[in-house]
Formats: sequence, C-alpha cells, structure tokens
Amino acid sequence: MPVESTEVEISNGAYRAVVNVVSFIPTHSKRSKEMSKRLLILIVVLLITVMALAACSKATTPAPAQEQTQEQTTEEKAPAGGEECKVVFGAAVSLTGKYAKEGEYVKNGYELYVEEINKQGGIPVGDKRCKVELKIYDDESNADRSAQLVEKLITEDKVTFLLGPYGSGNTFATTAIAEKYKVPMVEANGAATKIFNRGFKYSFAVLTPAPYYLRGIIDMALDKDPNLKTVAIVIENGAFALEVAQGAKDYAEEKGLDVVYFDKYAKAAKDVSSLITAMKSKNPDIVLGAGHLQDTILVMKQSKDLGLSPKVFGFSVGPTSPEFRKALGKDADYVVGAAQWTPELKYKSDDIFGTPQHFTELYKAKYGEIPPYQAAESAAALIAYQKAIEAAGSLDKDKVRDALAALDYDSFYGKLKFNEQGMNVYKPMAVMQNYTDGGLYTVWPKEAAVKEFLYPFVPWDQR
Amino acid sequence: MSDQKKAPIRFSSLDGLFKGRQGVLFSIFLLFILFLGVFPFLPFASGFWLNTLTLILLLAAMSIGWNFIGGYTGYAAFGNVAFFGIGAYGTGLSMIRLGLSFFPALLIGAVAAMVFAILIGLPILRLKGHYFAIATVAIATALGEIADSWTSFTGGAAGITLPFFDPIEWSGQFFYYMAYLLAIGGLLLTWFILNRKMGYSWVAIREDEDAANMMGINTTWSKVMAFALSALMAGLAGGIYAYWKTFVLAEEVFKIEYTLQMILAAVLGGTGTIFGPFIGAFIYYILITLLVFFLPVGQLHATILGAIIILVMVFTPKGLMDFISGRKKLSINALLENIRTYRV
Amino acid sequence: METLQLTQGVVNAILLSGTLTLVAIGFSIVWGILNIINLAHGAFLMVGAYITYWLFTLYGVDPFLSLPISMLTMFVVGYMVQRYLINLVIRAPLLVTFLLTFALEIIIINLATFFWKGDLRSVTPDYAGLGFTIGDVQIPYVRLAAFVISLVLTGLLHVFMTYTKTGNAIRATGMDIDAARLQGVRIPQTYALTYALGTALAAGAGTLISISFPIDPTMGGAYTLRAFVICVLGGLGSIPGVILGALLFSFIEVFSGIWAPSLKDAIALLVLVLVLIFRPSGIAGKAFYH
Repeated sequence: MPVESTEVEISNGAYRAVVNVVSFIPTHSKRSKEMSKRLLILIVVLLITVMALAACSKATTPAPAQEQTQEQTTEEKAPAGGEECKVVFGAAVSLTGKYAKEGEYVKNGYELYVEEINKQGGIPVGDKRCKVELKIYDDESNADRSAQLVEKLITEDKVTFLLGPYGSGNTFATTAIAEKYKVPMVEANGAATKIFNRGFKYSFAVLTPAPYYLRGIIDMALDKDPNLKTVAIVIENGAFALEVAQGAKDYAEEKGLDVVYFDKYAKAAKDVSSLITAMKSKNPDIVLGAGHLQDTILVMKQSKDLGLSPKVFGFSVGPTSPEFRKALGKDADYVVGAAQWTPELKYKSDDIFGTPQHFTELYKAKYGEIPPYQAAESAAALIAYQKAIEAAGSLDKDKVRDALAALDYDSFYGKLKFNEQGMNVYKPMAVMQNYTDGGLYTVWPKEAAVKEFLYPFVPWDQR
Repeated sequence: MSDQKKAPIRFSSLDGLFKGRQGVLFSIFLLFILFLGVFPFLPFASGFWLNTLTLILLLAAMSIGWNFIGGYTGYAAFGNVAFFGIGAYGTGLSMIRLGLSFFPALLIGAVAAMVFAILIGLPILRLKGHYFAIATVAIATALGEIADSWTSFTGGAAGITLPFFDPIEWSGQFFYYMAYLLAIGGLLLTWFILNRKMGYSWVAIREDEDAANMMGINTTWSKVMAFALSALMAGLAGGIYAYWKTFVLAEEVFKIEYTLQMILAAVLGGTGTIFGPFIGAFIYYILITLLVFFLPVGQLHATILGAIIILVMVFTPKGLMDFISGRKKLSINALLENIRTYRV
Repeated sequence: METLQLTQGVVNAILLSGTLTLVAIGFSIVWGILNIINLAHGAFLMVGAYITYWLFTLYGVDPFLSLPISMLTMFVVGYMVQRYLINLVIRAPLLVTFLLTFALEIIIINLATFFWKGDLRSVTPDYAGLGFTIGDVQIPYVRLAAFVISLVLTGLLHVFMTYTKTGNAIRATGMDIDAARLQGVRIPQTYALTYALGTALAAGAGTLISISFPIDPTMGGAYTLRAFVICVLGGLGSIPGVILGALLFSFIEVFSGIWAPSLKDAIALLVLVLVLIFRPSGIAGKAFYH
C-alpha cells in the first residue's frame, strides 16, 4: 500500500511518530504482516463495536440491556381512551450498590404512582389523558454513572421529564445535566442545599432540605418546655449531615438556645466515646445528632455506657427505622427522630392518594410493607409533575417548568411548593418518637400527631 | 531518533519500517484517532456518547501517565488518584476562591499535582517494590481523608461547587475535546520522551536499577520526573473532571477505583508501550460493558471486574499488546506461559 | 486532657493492641514468607466476622465459641486460594500479585454485599456491655477476653513456628526457598499452608472484632491498612516486632481518635509514610521473616 509518501509529507513529526508507533514490530516482514493484521483487526473491531453500540442505542424500542447495567421498567396499563399520548418520566436510580435499599424504595414509590394514575387513564393534559411511562436505569450508586444515564435518558431515550436519583452526590451530577438540556427534573431524594444554590431553573426538590431537618425537634422541645437552654450537636462528617447540623445550629440560636457543643466524628466511626464524654461535661439539655442509622445507634449505645442523659435525644436519621429499635431494645425509648413524612400524619388531599393512610394501604398491598418516607416522597415528585402539567395544560417542558415554579399544592405528602431556588421549604418536618410501649409514633406537628411527645428523656441510671 | 537493530526494549525506533505494512498500521491508528477527533460532529454522536467517550479518554490520559512510572520505570505506584484529586481540588479551589477562569485554574491544579509528586517522590522513590506501593496507597488514602475533613480549606465532606461551563449547551463537546486533547497530548509526550535520554533511563531503571546507576544515569532525577509526569497527566485529568462535573467531593476524587482502572487499562493494553494505555482504556471499557451486557446483574459488577483482573493477571499480565503485535501467537500455550514461568 | 480520659485511653489502647496484633500477625507471615502483600487480608477478616454473626444470629452460638469454626473454615478457604490460584503466579513481579489479591478482595467484598447486604450488623450477646471498673476506668469483659485470646493465639503461632517440623519448614521456605526445597520441603503445599494460617488468623481477629464493634462488608480494608502499618512499624521479621508495632499503633490510633477524630486514619497513614521514609526496616525488625 503506497502510503509512505503521503505520510512522510504530512510532517516530520508524524514520521517520527510512526516510527515509534511501529517500534514494537520486529523487523521481519513476515511477523510484521502478522502484527499489522492483528492491529487492523483490533482497530476494526473497536470501530465496529463503537458504531454498533451507537446504532443499537438509537432504537426507539430499546434492547434489553445496553451500554450500562440497566434495570428498565416500563409500566403500562391499557389506557382508558384510545388517545395516543404518552408522558415518559426517566430516572437513574441506585438499584444496586451503596444505596440499593433506598433506591428500591424510590423505584417503588414511582411505580406505585404510575400504576394508580394509569388506572385513571393517565395524567390529564388539556382535555386528554396521557398515559404515563417510567424509564428507570440503575446507576449503581455511582455519580459518574448517574450522569451518563441521565444524558442517555435525555438524548437517546428522549424522555419527557426527569425524576431524581438517590443521594446528594448523584443528584449533584444529574441536575447540571438537566439544566444543560433544559429538561425539568423534580427530585425527591437529595436534600443538600448546595445542589440548589447554583441558580438552576429546571431542578426542583419536593423534600424538605437538609438545614430544616432538625427544626421540628427543636420546635417540639421548646413547645413542651420553654426553659430549655443548651444544645449539643454531634455530626457525622458527611455533606448531608453537615448541612443538617449547621441548619440546626442556626435555628437553635435563632430560638435563643445556646449551642454548647458542635463537633464531628469520622464517617462510619466505630467509636465516639470521646465526643460523648466531652458532651457530658457540658451537661446539655438537648442532644442532637446528624448522621446515619448506624452512628445514631452507636451514639446511643455509648451514651448509655458513659451515662449521658440529656432531656431530649433527637437525630436526623435513625430513630424512625425499625432497626433502631431492634438494635437498642428498651434503650431506644424516648428517642425522637426527624421524618420527612410518616404514614400517620393527618394530611388530607385531593391527589390520587388522598391521605397518608390510603397511600400506606396501597403500598402495603403492592409491596407487603409499610412505606418508608423515600417511597412517599418519590410518589410526591410525580404528583408535583401532575399538578404542574394540569396547570400548564401541556407537556411543553418550559411551560411545565414554569408551572412547577408556581406550584402551591397540598398533597398526601405535605405541602408542595418551591422557593426561587427550587427547594421545598414550606413543608414542615415531622417528628416520630420511640414510645415506651415499643411503638413508633408521630408526635409532631401537633395537628398531625398521633400521640403526645413523651418528655423528658428518663436518665439511664433511673431505668 | 536512533537506529536500533532489535527491539527488546519496545520503544525503540526502527528505520525503514515506515514503509509498507507499518505504514498501514500507522494509518489505521491515525484513522481511529481522527475518528475520535471528529466524533462530536457525527450524526449519531449523542450527549450520552460524548459523556461516555469523555470518561474513557480521561481514563486513557491517566493511564498514559501511570505508564510513565509504572510501565516504563517499573515502580508500581498505586496511589495516582492522589494527583487526580489534587488536580481536581486545585482547579476547583482556584476557580472559586481566586476567581480564576478555567485554564489558569487547570494549570494551577496540574502544577500543584506535579509539585506534590516531586516533594513526596523524592523520599518515597527510594523505597522498593512493596514498600513503595504501600506508601503510595497510604498517601492517596490519607489525602482523601484530609480533604474530607479540612472544611475550611476544601469544604470538607460537603465539597465545593464550581461554576458551570458557559454556554452550557456546548459543554458536552468542550469537555470531550479537553479529554481528547489531553489523551493525545499524553501520547505525544510519551513518544517525545522515549526518544530522549530520560526515556531510556526509565527503562534502564526498570531492567536493572543498580546497573543504571553505575552507568551514570541520575536515577533519582529520572524516577522523580516519571512520577511527576504521571502526576501531571492525572492532575490535568482531575481538573477537567472537576469542571466537567461542576463539583468536587473528596470521596469521589480520591477513590481508589480510579487508580485501579488506570492501572488495569495500562496492563490490558500493555504497560511500557506507547499506545498500550490508550487502547487499554477502550479495551477496559468495552470489556466491562460487554460483560455487563451479558450479565446484567448490577450487584455483581465488582465481582466481574475482579474476575477479569484475576484472569488478566494469571494469563496475560503483560497485556494484550504482545498478541496484537504478533510478538506472540495467541494460543493456549502462550496463555499458559505466564503460569509456567511464575508458578511455584 | 483530664486524667480519666488519659487513663481510659491508655487502657483502651492496650486492649486494642491485642486484637491488632492478631490482625497483623497473619498478614505478617504471608508477607514475610511468601513475599506477597495480601490485600485480601481484610476481606477474610470480614468473612470470619460474618461467620460469627450468622452462627450467633441463626443458631445462637456464642461468639467466642464460634472462633474455632470461623478460623477453621477460613483456613480451608485460604489454603484453596493459595494452592490453586495464587501459587500460579506467585513468583511474578509485584504488580501481578498485588493486583491479584486486590481483585480477590473486590470479589469477596462484592459477594458479601450481595448476599448479606451492606448494612452494619452487631453481634450482641447478653454479656456485651458488661465490664468491671478500676476507679472510673471501664474495662469491658469482651475486650479483655479478646485481648487475652489474641495473645494466646499469637503465642500458639510462635510455638508452632518454632517447635514443630511444619513450622520450621515454613520458616525455612521463607529464608531460602531453594535450600528448603532441597531439604524435601514441598513448596506449593507449604505456601498454601502459610497463607491458610494467615487467613485463619485474620478470621479469628474478625470474630473477636465482631463482638466489640459493628461489622459490615467493607470493614476489612481499614484492617488491611492497619496490618500494613503495624508490620512496617514493628518490622517484618518477628512476632515480638509485630506485638510492639501493634502496641505503638494502638496508642497512635486511640489518642488521635481523642484529639482529631475525623483524621484518625490520615494520621496513622502519615506515620506509616514517615516510618517508611526514615526507617523502612521498622522499629524492631528485619527484612525477612524468621
């Protein structure tokens, strides 16, 4: 093949490059034949694979599994009318990996909504009803993957709207992409405010943001005993927990409390005794913790060991899980936890679920257990979309975005309304308490509470 | 450019091989690279593909960098993600604290990574084998933790958010080309160095460091440069990644997975070769994807990855380049050769 | 810092050093004899911990009693792994074995997460929180027991290595493999045996750890790293070296946990790097195992 002359002409540099490229070829022409044949095959294979995969993913009916791991779910129910309109919601959800359990709740929430709304023929758009479809990919709890999959959902699957992934890291990654393509994204599971401080217009979050998490507990405590003075805050070193803690500190100070302790422990710490000892020496009235289930359990265990007994023990995450009670037994009594939503709240709405109790019924019927809040807030994201679409009367992305920005609706999940940054600061956090009878009850907000807040926390040595 | 009759050291130049088959070879490579160069303008280049290829190219860049210290010099560094992280934070912090625009910030991030590599390289490159490897892992892990806790400087666990690329609609193409240019730059850098004394000294160190010393090669300088250049590649990749993602979180940019990927890509393609890491990044990615395609059990991905690594380590630890280059024929025999040589 | 914190810290450090000795000793013999860094060490430790957990949760087996079971099971597993996998490439360059054991770790952790889910779990027998106090310093029974058992196992290992024929064969292999071969030592099996011992000890450590701390599939990595640091601190050559290293490390860990809790690991790692730079043979050790 007479390529030499043209190649040499390209540049001296290219020549030298060539020479070095082929440096691994032995001098004998027979073997170099072998080599170029193999290299040729390799390159051709690479090119073909690239093309093939590109071509495959262009298909409107996607192949069962493509570039990434996927768990696709397309839910379809036979539409009531014969209208051919469809709304496709796409999401990358953590179905495997670190957040697999939560991701599953999210998926369940989405699916339950879709099933129920399609029973009615779909979402009302103008005077038609549009069938709702879901397209879910597994992002493996990986932020890079999340971003990739959202790009895929937008550019290849051409979904109508986006739903959010689980976890702040993944949500960070994906909101930027939604903004790039101007596709609205309503997410239900990333509560870090940093996500929303970037001036994005197309991202909305239905859940109460991180800094507000512990407000309910503070309000409730002060309501019960206005003489409380001091607060100690112990924090897991994580993005979400730090925001929760800072928000709690600011709010506590706003309410006239004195924050006497504010320190971090390492992620997944196995020992927090030095922090507990330090808190004990300050004798706080309220101890608040921001972290995850396991560290909350650890803090309680070591508080018992070291004899830390404030009047209120409250945590952002943990006390509302059944594992908390299982791990601590009687030691869990009196401990309160923040909750985005509980099945007992007395909200009433004209949305498709109506009340938390009805949602719980439907969820239990379909999935066999009480819905965790992640499922409820995921369904709520879709309700937000529904109401926005109804208000806009169309599926146009910008119109719906504007309708979302203007939304003010009371759903089974609570108030759905967004501030200018897209966060739902209007929904109060509920509080649940581990009762002495072994149950877990909603104790705040008062209007929606099932039982009264048990106060004070009975000290360890008096049990 | 020098003559060399044999090619036991694989970077040597060979005169006259430019004709004939080798010319074909090169033109095929060129084609692939050109294809990648014009990819964003092709009709099927969706955002998703740009995203994916950007990731692959960033991996290729890091892998090319790792190749300097791990492949050519023979010092198995297991902590290069540290440089990625430094590049990411350096770039990010420069943009938000100093208000710099992207390119100056990127430069700062890369320089920071290089300086760090030189400072830390001087003492730890005196260590051999396992000790060096452990030291690099320890440093990378420790850095990750420090970045995670140092809230006042790095934003701690909450990380930092960067401004996003303006105009945002072209961000996909922009970052694709950044990664592409970095990878190509890495290839050119490799080729450039290999023709010089430093490249020779790297290989000399790998083959027999004491002999190299005795021949008068300044091994310390060479090793540190190899390390620093690998830091440069990783640091630049980190800076680009940071701006691309628009946020930097310690637990994301100091992940040991990235080190593993860059090493694996280099190994798959062939350590100590120019094109090895680049091709290896693609091979790695395609391998993972195909295996995922056939085994769509998301939870077991890591197991699949581990199995691949084991298979590669047992059968083809020098990568696939030898088979591609025809140096070895692909046969059961060839695959078992590694075991025969190294078993006990 | 108050005296109480100081004394409690010292006590905690001493108690911890026992378990850490056990963690490090298995790692040390594999490194010393086989000259491979077993990155899967922590993963085996974790499996040992889970064996204890499941025996306790499903069958009510007392965690201490499950010790021989977890150790024996992992002994067999380790033997298989070394004999039929690692032995295939054991003389290859560092990168190969490093990546190989790394891959093993990845696989084991992934499978554990797949089957047992990633949540933290605790083994909490009834006597878990009990202890006695000297003054105000608390000494939980389980930690004391773990300390004692670790030292006993370490002692047994020493006896085995020094006074039994097999033990001597192992040491000989580590010192000079060709001479050992000439003496009739069967190398593949000896290697397998050594690795199996290392794994078994790791599993034992896992069992003891599970009683005092919560466990999850990713717990192992931190322990592998600790084993590194301890071996480097104390030197690779001897059991007393490992004990010394573990003691030193425990103090560093406990006290940095008091002063800078979120930087605990970073401090330990930086100590490692400093020791590597200034005294790679460790504080007490030599470069090979004997």
